[in-house]
Amino acid sequence: MLSLLITLPILGILSILIIPEYKVNLIKQVAFLSSLLTFICSLFLWVFFDNSTSKFQFIEYFDWMSLFNIHFFLGIDGISLFFVILSTFLVSICILNSWFSIKKHLKKYYVCFLLMDLFLIIVFSVLDIIVFYIFFESILIPMFLVIGVWGSRTRKLKAAYQFFLYTLIGSLFMLLAIFYMFFETGTTDFQILNTVLFSEDKELILWLAFFLSFSVKVPMVPVHIWLPEAHVEAPTSGSVILAGILLKMGTYGLLRFSLSLFPYASIYFTPLVYSLSAVAVIYTSLTTLRQVDLKKIIAYSSVAHMAFVTIGIFTFNLYGVEGSLLIMLSHGFISSALFLCIGVLYDRHHTRLIKYYSGLTQVMPLYSFFFVFFSMANLGFPGTSSFAGEFLTLIGSYQSNTFVTFLASTGMVLGAGYSLWLCNRVLFGPLTVNYIKQYTDITRREFAVLIPLLLCTVWMGVYPEIFLDTMHLTISNLLQKI
Amino acid sequence: MNFLFSNNDWLAILPEVFFVISINLILVYSVIYCTSPLFDFPLLINNVSWLSIQILFIVFVLNMNNYYCDIVVLNNFLIVDSFGNLIKSVILLSTICILLMSLRYNKFELINNFEFPILVMLTILGTLLLISSYDLIAMYLAIELQSFCSYILSAFKRNSEFSAEAGLKYFILGAFSSGFLLFGCSLIYGFTGATNYEQISLLLIGSNYSNLNNNGIVIGTIFILISFLFKISAAPFHLWSPDIYEGSPTTITAFFAIVPKIGLLTFFLRLFFDSLYTLFISWQDLLLIASIGSMIIGSFGAIWQIKLKRLLAFSAIGHVGYMLIGLCCCSVESVYGLIFYSIIYIFMSISSFSLLLIVRRNDNLKKLKYIEDLIVIAKTNPFIGFCFAITFFSIAGVPPLAGFFSKMFLFSSAISQSAYTLSVVGILTSVISCFYYLRIIQISYFEQNEEWISLKKPSKEISILISIITLILIVFFLHPSLLSILIHYSIVNLCF
Repeated sequence: MLSLLITLPILGILSILIIPEYKVNLIKQVAFLSSLLTFICSLFLWVFFDNSTSKFQFIEYFDWMSLFNIHFFLGIDGISLFFVILSTFLVSICILNSWFSIKKHLKKYYVCFLLMDLFLIIVFSVLDIIVFYIFFESILIPMFLVIGVWGSRTRKLKAAYQFFLYTLIGSLFMLLAIFYMFFETGTTDFQILNTVLFSEDKELILWLAFFLSFSVKVPMVPVHIWLPEAHVEAPTSGSVILAGILLKMGTYGLLRFSLSLFPYASIYFTPLVYSLSAVAVIYTSLTTLRQVDLKKIIAYSSVAHMAFVTIGIFTFNLYGVEGSLLIMLSHGFISSALFLCIGVLYDRHHTRLIKYYSGLTQVMPLYSFFFVFFSMANLGFPGTSSFAGEFLTLIGSYQSNTFVTFLASTGMVLGAGYSLWLCNRVLFGPLTVNYIKQYTDITRREFAVLIPLLLCTVWMGVYPEIFLDTMHLTISNLLQKI
Repeated sequence: MNFLFSNNDWLAILPEVFFVISINLILVYSVIYCTSPLFDFPLLINNVSWLSIQILFIVFVLNMNNYYCDIVVLNNFLIVDSFGNLIKSVILLSTICILLMSLRYNKFELINNFEFPILVMLTILGTLLLISSYDLIAMYLAIELQSFCSYILSAFKRNSEFSAEAGLKYFILGAFSSGFLLFGCSLIYGFTGATNYEQISLLLIGSNYSNLNNNGIVIGTIFILISFLFKISAAPFHLWSPDIYEGSPTTITAFFAIVPKIGLLTFFLRLFFDSLYTLFISWQDLLLIASIGSMIIGSFGAIWQIKLKRLLAFSAIGHVGYMLIGLCCCSVESVYGLIFYSIIYIFMSISSFSLLLIVRRNDNLKKLKYIEDLIVIAKTNPFIGFCFAITFFSIAGVPPLAGFFSKMFLFSSAISQSAYTLSVVGILTSVISCFYYLRIIQISYFEQNEEWISLKKPSKEISILISIITLILIVFFLHPSLLSILIHYSIVNLCF
């Protein structure tokens, strides 16, 4: 099953490569078809997923570097299942979204996205930490190119560099830590390493090395600088992938590797994570208030939401961890949808500055509906997915640290502040006729892009049980170890 | 007739013997033919290049023929083992690639002297002998053969001032370092009375390091080490290399970046791991400093370069720093990582240099000299742009390309020997060096060009070469074990 999932994007890439560049429509159709097939295939994973066990399922095993006891070992459990589905889902959304807005180097563009699809599936399903590292890093190449080649302004160079170098410097320390573990234990298989207990001092250092890598990816506060830059300069689909799924690689790594491999260190460093996250929630929420660029607002709000996730993960109880997983998924839908909404405006008018937009409700009613809905979802409105996640996270963190819960919940209030104010400025008020003369509402394609995200958000908000059921056993098994 | 050589000896060194004879024959042939008025003094460069490629290929086949042998020949003068044979075959193949690259370069740069491929072959002969030398005298003679041909090659573009300057610089400084080498050898000979590696090692193993009066040996070792570091352009002795890289003809630059380095590394491995291993306390720290210095200078020096060849020169210094990690860790894993790194590095260097050679303006037939000139590549020649991007991503060490695996094995060996400082410095400098590798990709892909330059169509040989190497760099991660097992066999042969 998983090997089929990996083969589909590869087939897509190969078939795009042999299509000549001028057959524009064919390229788009093949790319979309293969990403859609991958998505459908990943949904079957969920259908055949066994809720009643916390073991890894759909195990696939390939001999890779037998000399060093490194193998290509794939498997999925309740945590990684949703990330795989989310990534295939978002990639197909992205490909549909960039149907008309991308005009140059079309072939490479779609190859980049299918490559990211492939790498993401492997990252979320691989059970060997060196292979995990390899694909964790590999995503840098297509994403670097997406930001650099198809980005909008000249500042994209700086953004692409920051994205690349920040991530690289963090992850290379993880690589050293992985080598160390390899030479201590003689294996890089995650399941075997799970049974190994390192001495306390070593655990602390290894945890820090892993944390350095994941915190850049999440991003935690002192190293979050690359994120707003990268988001602003990337094309819409690039931002969607970046916010929707690349950030989750960091939190997924914390949950999967840091927590279960180094339980002692995780508890030891909980105050550090809490304080960084609390600072992130408040600081980035306040920063959001003074941004003038639409994409930067969403980017900073992403940092705030990811800080919620890290608080949730480090509560070490079922509510917190499940809540943080829900936030990750819902953030995948909501921030992607908001970036897509901004992309709609940018495709039409080629500016993202708030100053030029006002009173859009009068001319773009359907668009305004989506924008208001997703803004509400972003601030954690009851009935949307974010509410379910944030509620559970706050319950969880209340059990472990009341003060942090208090600080995090101020973030929710501030979130309501910037989301509503953003809606207010962009959608309501007098229509600006000085700058923009002609307005058109969203097209059928854009509607088709946004509606699945809306449905998912509502579904997850109204009935999160179906998601929680699937991840329940895996998470309780993970927490038993701590 | 057994007092000097046995029959087996000739069989073992058959590739070298064949090589010497054919070089002489080809020299005679070309001298006679090119001075003959009957044929109107023909230009032989193309002809001789193709002949040399064939000769190199035959030597390669002969070399593979006795790949799995392990024998010390000619009165303990040379050793033929699978470790040396692996390196030899890699060197021969890469030289074939370089000669293929030079075919069109010579045509456009008007290098019409047939001596060019012959000198390259002589250098290779020196390198092959250096790899299999098992005696200080043999080593010195081989190194001199290799160096002398290199001096001439770097000054080969006679009408260019840069090239003449490069040749002169290389000659003076190279002679200086050869002096060091000879002095070191004679010190070791003076204090041990032996020139054979095995005899030296036997003498040293028995002696206690602290109470033996062996300062002379240590000083000799250090002299040899300095000369070695000079010749592979490691950090405190690197200053010649950017100038010489820049001045020499580009094919020769590629040649210098690849062939002598790996030959010298092999010689070093053999000398220091076979015979001077007991003294490793005295040379390990020096290598450590050289390694860290080269990594730092290689990464920081290249940031401000605007010429492509100088950039590659500094990047080569950085790569030497990484290779020295493998040397100064002194373990089986590290030697394995070193050889792995060198082989992947050869792939990447061939690719990057042939990409430099392939790009030539259509209007004035000039090569692209500055990094800024690459701006049109990805737009006018998308495939070359793609190869550029893959090659430089790989050199930067981004997974899943081949370059990552080479760095991975080196750093893992450093970690396994608890050389944490070394690995952390290596990691940081590799991030810094990413900056300028990415700049090449950035210039060719991200920036908008103001003027359009049409580029000459690349020749067929070089295009095939680049495509194959790019493909190797991409699909390498599917089955890295293939190279691993090959290298492992020869490493085991060297280390035990």
